[in-house]
Amino acid sequence: MNRGRAGRVKTVVYSSPFVPAEWIAAHALRPRRIRPDPAAASPSAGPLMGVCPYARAFMGEVLSAPAAGAAVFATTCDQMRRAAEWAGRGGGPPVFLMNVPATWQTPAAARLYRDELRRLGRFLVHLGGEAPSPARLAETLEAYDARRAALRGALGTLSARQASEAIARFDLGEPPDAHGPAAPDLPRGTPVALVGGPLMRGDTCLFDTLEKAGGVVVLDGTESGARTLPAPVDRRRLRDDPLMELVDAYFGTIPDAFRRPDTALYEWLNRERAASAARGIIVWRYVWCDMWAASAARLRETTGLPVLDLDVSGDPGGLARSAGRIQAFMEVLK
Amino acid sequence: MSGSPKRLTMEQLDRLCRRRQAAGVPMPAYAGPLERHVADGDRRLLKLLYDDSAAALRLWNFLLTEEDRLHEARAAGRKIVGTMKDLGTVPVMAYALPNLVAFYPDGAWWTPCVMELSEGLFGIAQSLGLGDAMCPVRAMAGAFVNRAHFPLPDLLTCSVGATCDDFSAIAQRLESLGYPILWWEMPSRRQPDPGEPAVTLPGGFRAPESQVALVRSELERVRAALSELAGSPLADEELAAGIREANRVRAILGDLRRLAYTADPCPMPALEMLIAEMLAIHFCSDRAESVAVLTELLDEVRRRADEHVGVLPAGAARLFWVNPVADLRVMNLLEDCGARLCGTEYLFCHALDAIPQDVPPMEALARMALADPMVGPSADRAARVVRDARALGAEGVVVSRIPGASHCALEGTVIGGIVRDELGLPVVELEVPPVADPLWPTLKTRLEALVETVLERRKR
Repeated sequence: MNRGRAGRVKTVVYSSPFVPAEWIAAHALRPRRIRPDPAAASPSAGPLMGVCPYARAFMGEVLSAPAAGAAVFATTCDQMRRAAEWAGRGGGPPVFLMNVPATWQTPAAARLYRDELRRLGRFLVHLGGEAPSPARLAETLEAYDARRAALRGALGTLSARQASEAIARFDLGEPPDAHGPAAPDLPRGTPVALVGGPLMRGDTCLFDTLEKAGGVVVLDGTESGARTLPAPVDRRRLRDDPLMELVDAYFGTIPDAFRRPDTALYEWLNRERAASAARGIIVWRYVWCDMWAASAARLRETTGLPVLDLDVSGDPGGLARSAGRIQAFMEVLK
Repeated sequence: MSGSPKRLTMEQLDRLCRRRQAAGVPMPAYAGPLERHVADGDRRLLKLLYDDSAAALRLWNFLLTEEDRLHEARAAGRKIVGTMKDLGTVPVMAYALPNLVAFYPDGAWWTPCVMELSEGLFGIAQSLGLGDAMCPVRAMAGAFVNRAHFPLPDLLTCSVGATCDDFSAIAQRLESLGYPILWWEMPSRRQPDPGEPAVTLPGGFRAPESQVALVRSELERVRAALSELAGSPLADEELAAGIREANRVRAILGDLRRLAYTADPCPMPALEMLIAEMLAIHFCSDRAESVAVLTELLDEVRRRADEHVGVLPAGAARLFWVNPVADLRVMNLLEDCGARLCGTEYLFCHALDAIPQDVPPMEALARMALADPMVGPSADRAARVVRDARALGAEGVVVSRIPGASHCALEGTVIGGIVRDELGLPVVELEVPPVADPLWPTLKTRLEALVETVLERRKR
């Protein structure tokens, strides 16, 4: 691992699921996929009106994180693309904007993603990291794949809140034994799917709010949930071309609202929803998030299920204000 | 025309039009009084002020009859291409094939303004889950559904990637409703890394060669789709000819902008100049006629500049305008407040710059597409605004925000900051909804304050 002046391993923070942790780790740097603190979305973190609260919070967190060696933003939404520019001008750590193509059905799109990984690699080396050999990259991928397999196995034994927190800890690079014990008695209630954008720090109390209202999340399709876990790697192909295997695992499989077309997202949702027996869908979206805002009506059409379009502002008390809507929604589903 | 040019109400303009018709003045077949369009619901026309020239009347008629042209094209057996988001690239390709006609469904974003919300497009969009937190371009989705504003295209293309989220989300919603879309990738333009092979794009931005190559390969997919639709291959020779024709439009527009934005008194109102600039992106569905319309407008502006006459008093505050307005009437307001346009950046400056003719045509188009100010950093865009504002002698800058647009909040702040730092000019940000009447006092006050500041600074 590369160490900074204070002898600590340099940390690279990011929030997008399309930034592979193992690519950063293979460069001997510490990846930390963070859930930003909503309090970081302060007025000093750029203009308020029209800016997605999550983008503001991540931007604010980056600007106030002098300990971070660098921050990686992704172009998966316009707001984050522009937040990267803002953060890059603000005196925080070095910023890398990774171009994640919206299209995915052409070889050119996958090549662009691969080339962006290479460019990120050069940035990481410039930061003090070490370019990995193919063997080292393959080993790192295998190690992450094994840890992720263990995580996947554990998720089924945990409550939705515990599962979300376990993924958050995994994303921060904490060891798997920090996941905590399985819940002896999983919460019960009307099963719902939670779908949408990423959660911020502390947002897992949403799961409690739902349970208090008589519901239980049986499918976490937020950007912070299992939906965005990359696919398991193919061990045989891994040895031949570990970088392309990384591309396939992330770019080739993660379904999301920004992808064009977004068919993979709806295929994933239909499959997982059917398996989960969810009776309703809650769309978790930030105000000014157009991608998920446009998805709520489609979810209603494609699933035929009741949908609660929950627009969240990230401000203190915002979730409490939504509690009434959640409660009413759960009553409808009973 | 006789006497000094002036701005007229629609009623006055129509009276003039009828007099010309009665006198047998030659006019294009599509020309006539604008009240025809009011009868069709374009009620905003009643509240606008217009330039009194025959050239401007022709411009307005050309703009307002586009839907008719599209229907005529279909009736004549031509195929219609709906090009979305790229603002200036794919139409150059489509018009290189004689049996294709291209238009921007995006243009429906002005329909709620022109029809003063009577057309119900936002309501339809809302019913599709595209609410008012999104850019007014959501009206486009309503126009696809009610089929009352343009014929359904035979092919739809849309650039995605480094584009605004509103548009990407709305276009995806369209596809979910059964309108297949050819998506093509537009990467986020970035500065070349040290030592990385790079290209200077039209307009002066720089980009890595690898990004140009990617866009070129994406445009090749578009070329294949256009060729299939047309039933004949779109060869390089035809493309090169199409680029030459597009450059002809851009050259006329370049002359028009230079003269209209620099001559004093102001020879052509801001509203007509906005419409004229828009012709560059898809020629208002008739490339040859757009050349004729712009040429007549340029001739009129030349005449006025030579005679030192204009539509506004000499010495009006010279403002540079950033972003198009959702409500056209605001361009009148700017002049009512004692200002004039001296330059613009309406989000499609790449459609105004000459397309390179010294490189293979697909390479030229890729460079042009990547020069889109929307796909790069806001600082790039700000640098262009600074450059143009300085060259055109701007005394103030207006950044007009588009309500709900994903790019506007951070971008406006970045552009405003850079303009203040580098030019020391006063900057005002406005948000202009499709029908801005309720905000009129606020908008007026802010523009008047800017004009007062500009005039006060002249005394220093």
